[in-house]
Amino acid sequence: MRASELKIMADIEVKNLSRTYEYYRKQQGLSGSLKSFFYREKLFAEAVKSISFSIESGELIGFLGPNGAGKTTTLKMLSGILHPTGGQVKVLGHIPSEREKKYQKQFALVMGQKNQLIQDLPAIETFIVNKEIYEISDKEFKENFNELADLFGIKDILDIQVRKLSLGQRMKCELVAALLHKPKVLFLDEPTIGLDVVAQKNIRDFIKKYNREKKTTIILTSHYMEDIKELCERVIIINLGKIIYDGKLDDLIKKYATHKLLKVVFNGNGVCREEVEKFGEIDEFNPYICTIKTKRNEAKNTAIALLSSNLPVDDIIIDEIDVDDVIRQIFNS
Amino acid sequence: MKKFLTIVKAFWQRALTYRFTVLAYRIGEIGETLALILMWSAIYGGQKVIGGLTLQEMITYILVGNFFNAIIRNFLSSVVSHDIKDGRLSMFLIRPMSYFNYILSREIGRISLSTLMSVLSSMLIIIFFINTFIWNFDVAYFLIIVAMVILAFVVELFLSYLIGLISFWTDEVDGIYATIDRIKKFFSGGYFPINLLPLMFVQVSFALPFAYSFFVPAQLYLKKLDLSVGLKGLLIQIVWILILYGIIKIVWGRGLKRYEGVGT
Repeated sequence: MRASELKIMADIEVKNLSRTYEYYRKQQGLSGSLKSFFYREKLFAEAVKSISFSIESGELIGFLGPNGAGKTTTLKMLSGILHPTGGQVKVLGHIPSEREKKYQKQFALVMGQKNQLIQDLPAIETFIVNKEIYEISDKEFKENFNELADLFGIKDILDIQVRKLSLGQRMKCELVAALLHKPKVLFLDEPTIGLDVVAQKNIRDFIKKYNREKKTTIILTSHYMEDIKELCERVIIINLGKIIYDGKLDDLIKKYATHKLLKVVFNGNGVCREEVEKFGEIDEFNPYICTIKTKRNEAKNTAIALLSSNLPVDDIIIDEIDVDDVIRQIFNS
Repeated sequence: MKKFLTIVKAFWQRALTYRFTVLAYRIGEIGETLALILMWSAIYGGQKVIGGLTLQEMITYILVGNFFNAIIRNFLSSVVSHDIKDGRLSMFLIRPMSYFNYILSREIGRISLSTLMSVLSSMLIIIFFINTFIWNFDVAYFLIIVAMVILAFVVELFLSYLIGLISFWTDEVDGIYATIDRIKKFFSGGYFPINLLPLMFVQVSFALPFAYSFFVPAQLYLKKLDLSVGLKGLLIQIVWILILYGIIKIVWGRGLKRYEGVGT
């Protein structure tokens, strides 16, 4: 038997996947409207341009990119909402756009901006409806539900109308509704959007725990770097419909973060800008706290130089550049 | 079947949370029926018979027709339209149950309460006019009327769904819905018995499904139409249900392609 045959098939296999949208341009004003009523020039926008990647079972992948990069379009193709205009997708051995029930019972999609809970009823009613739609047995439902309700701590809000819940509580319920049928693959599109810092962290912790315990394959898109930093070992960065990075987050930082940040705290009367400037590029400055950007390999020496200078140094912290900055750097280049 | 019942139950509960709206609608309905009765009483003046109906029969026609109408109608088009416009349809496309089956179960649950209330308020007016109201306890007629009302309910459901699907192409369907609603009411005999119109209109309206949701069952109730007309009507309704189902399939397929094309 050859080695390639022994290899376990990946959960998600994407090859040269493309998606083009049709759209029209309308000239300004009424005359433009009239013109476009009779004649429309068809234009095409390539939202996703021939991307390829594969994801193994149990991985938790961060899918990054600015607005309109093609993240949601890709997730929609993976879940079968959209047909690809080119290339192939296979998830768990199924072609998503065929919308087979067998496949639909094995994955879930949660969108931060679209809800599936019935707004005017307590969340429990949606859970019961989903139990029937996904044909979950009574026994299995009971087990899953109890486990999830405990994990997410939603037992005391089950009898409250969904519309009366806070955004964070609602998102927890959305996740429970999506996980009741024990999906093997989970797509999370901006699950923390609009949430406050505490609620974000909560959701993040649940996702982490769930992935660890259930070995569910998860693709997560988020605008919040915190989400990605905390959850994902591997990231795929997409911009203008193309993948520009696919690999470990750590490697990405090492590759692009050519600088380190020295956060220096001064005591006494503080310092003036000129005194610090000779140690490196100043990122942030006030007389008591100052952030200096230095090359990675010079960070240590700069710190020593600062300590041995006659400046009133109280503390020095050497820090990595923020992932946000790294990503911004990539998108700008 | 259990899927269906669970969804019906959930949306029946939802309706219960909107008790005020459910009650508020009834006031308008009762008002409309009373206005029609008042108007016809004035028109009859000294006349004994109009369109083959005595005033007593006409009042019964209005009462019983509105009673059927209360059972038959639904508010599905705006639900479907919103699901499509807001992109919520996507969340249904990924679930192992077709949108058609889901939304129909859901609508039945959703309107069950208001239908029940309508039926109750219609019965209330009937009781109010108990001295004028003509009773018909003929079993054969009763069975045909029940079958006709059930089929009319299905026709109406399919039609509303179809109107909702227009949202794949245009941003709003309220205008189209309002227009079709009026045409429907006209051909159904909801404004006045259609036999007051030239024969051609009557023939056209008997070929359309609308007359079977008001005029025909009401006239059957008054025994102004033969049982054979009723049976033929059931057949026409079934044909319409099949036609509408076919159109829904085609429109859904095309609409979905477009939905994907613009990528809502």
